[in-house]
Amino acid sequence: MSTGAPAREGQTPRTRPKRRFSIVDPLVAVTEGRYWAYLLIAPSLVLVGAVVVYPVIDGILLSFREYRLNRPALGTPWIGLEHYRTMASDPIIRTALRNTLVWVTVGSISQFLLGLIAALALHRPLPGMALARILVLIPWLLPSVVSANMWRLMLDSRLGVVNDVLIRINLMDTPRAWFTSPDWALFEVLGVELWKNFAFFTLFIMAGLHAIPQELYDAASVDGSGAWRRFRHITVPLLMPVIVAAVILRVIGLFNSPDVLLILTGGVPGNATQTISLYGFQTAYLKFDFGYAASISVLALACLMAFTVVYVRVSGVTKE
Amino acid sequence: MAIQTSSDSWREPPRPLRTWSPFGSLKRTRRLYNVISATIALFVVAFAVFPIVWTALTSFKPESEIVTTTIRYLPETVTFENYQTLWSRSDYPRLLRNSGIVTVLTVSMSLVIGTFAAYSISRYRFRGRGGLMVFYLVIRMFPFTLLLIPLFIMLRKIGLFDTHFGLALTYTTFLLPLCVWMLKGFFDGIPPDLEEASRVDGSTRLGALVRIVLPLARPGIAATTVFIAIGAWNEYLWALLLTTSSGARTWPVGLQLMVGEFQMPWGTLSASGIVSIIPIMIGFAFVQRALVSGLMTGGVKG
Repeated sequence: MSTGAPAREGQTPRTRPKRRFSIVDPLVAVTEGRYWAYLLIAPSLVLVGAVVVYPVIDGILLSFREYRLNRPALGTPWIGLEHYRTMASDPIIRTALRNTLVWVTVGSISQFLLGLIAALALHRPLPGMALARILVLIPWLLPSVVSANMWRLMLDSRLGVVNDVLIRINLMDTPRAWFTSPDWALFEVLGVELWKNFAFFTLFIMAGLHAIPQELYDAASVDGSGAWRRFRHITVPLLMPVIVAAVILRVIGLFNSPDVLLILTGGVPGNATQTISLYGFQTAYLKFDFGYAASISVLALACLMAFTVVYVRVSGVTKE
Repeated sequence: MAIQTSSDSWREPPRPLRTWSPFGSLKRTRRLYNVISATIALFVVAFAVFPIVWTALTSFKPESEIVTTTIRYLPETVTFENYQTLWSRSDYPRLLRNSGIVTVLTVSMSLVIGTFAAYSISRYRFRGRGGLMVFYLVIRMFPFTLLLIPLFIMLRKIGLFDTHFGLALTYTTFLLPLCVWMLKGFFDGIPPDLEEASRVDGSTRLGALVRIVLPLARPGIAATTVFIAIGAWNEYLWALLLTTSSGARTWPVGLQLMVGEFQMPWGTLSASGIVSIIPIMIGFAFVQRALVSGLMTGGVKG
């Protein structure tokens, strides 16, 4: 039920007491007019238009131009597909794409699994669980600058507590220099990322679990279904919509935010932790090559869009 | 339709009549699952909290106990010198103040604009409504760098580069989708009959919104406020690019600037980390229940 859809506003106003003329009348006319619903939306649209839509279009156009902030003498000439040609032969792009694939896949799967396990455990009504449910959310709320530096301190090769613990419990003989091995650095950063964001899944899955009617489990138990069957045939199917939504949000998050990588490794060693979003950022921020950075971002956007379309098709969910 | 998350509504598991159970009696099975759950919960909580505890401990250690070959877990001598250094011999108070200003600006703009939009989407069925919700989502998909460069150029052109307001404007836009989603969920939970009644009594639509809906949605608005505030307070990458002087620079940028190439000032860094996450913790503690339910409503329904 709506209080007055715009369509209904052709009617004369209902029993309104007789009014004298006042300066609020024009305002009243606006709020009672048929465009009221649109007027309420308008400020947000203006803002989004100015800060998102216009820059996106401008950014895409920029990818066809030469634009170097540190070389104003070059001007901003139109160079067509030149940047895209450069990109095709840029070895860093290839590495970055491969790393992005690993970063997003391993990141979202590991965070999902830990998030699911945590949610299932925390969902059990035991004493202290209410507090535990709050505590696990904290890493997710912390700023990436603080989280990344916390882990830098803990993973320091000489002063780090992680090395100390691992040596004490005999898992290692010598201290490990974290984030320096080209083979492992990306996975080590993914470990930090796991800590930071698994709770995102926990939050969503706990909500999903809570929305499942207990009667379903009761009925299944009466029918003699064991725990695994209940999980398989009730929990999993009913959680699916939540999981599907959470995964796409997290994939977008992993794909688009280079801040943890930027703080922890900045792409090194070599380009072992270089991802497409980080490369785009560094091309703009360190090399001031805005045109090339824009074209890298267009590539990133194309990848993400393609993934989203396929994902929505395959998972069969259409958002309301 | 806010999903209840209050802990008292978590139901006791029912007693099923008969179930096949691999571990003998049912009671033992349930106890086993309880033990497993408790153990997992304990490990997960320890994993989540340990880095914060460690940072807090480090912030109270003197330099000699941080830079050492034999790591001490608890500080031998508790010192506040890191906090004193931070407060009196660094730019940090000013950075915190800048962040505070940007956060307050962001929250006020988001709430006003977001309330209007969310209320409209919640109450009216107009053309393009469904598309609008999806569109708000799509905003999140645009790569940061793609938006960054044109925005950087634009803000420089209109003189908002390196200002609190310019940064807040950017944050407002990117936090708006979430803000609208959460608020819409809370507004949906308020029956429209109340506004109908007030309108029959001669109140305007705006009056009904301000006098009837907003007071009822107060817990939801508080939760949304905290969530937006956390988002603005934490943000690093935009601030890194859109501020250059200490006049507008926010604390995450400042903290990262403290990080040296070779010698890390771990004590001060830890202290600044702890100082800057205290507001987050306090805010979260206050609205935790409504915040979680608001996020989940947005998430589950979106």
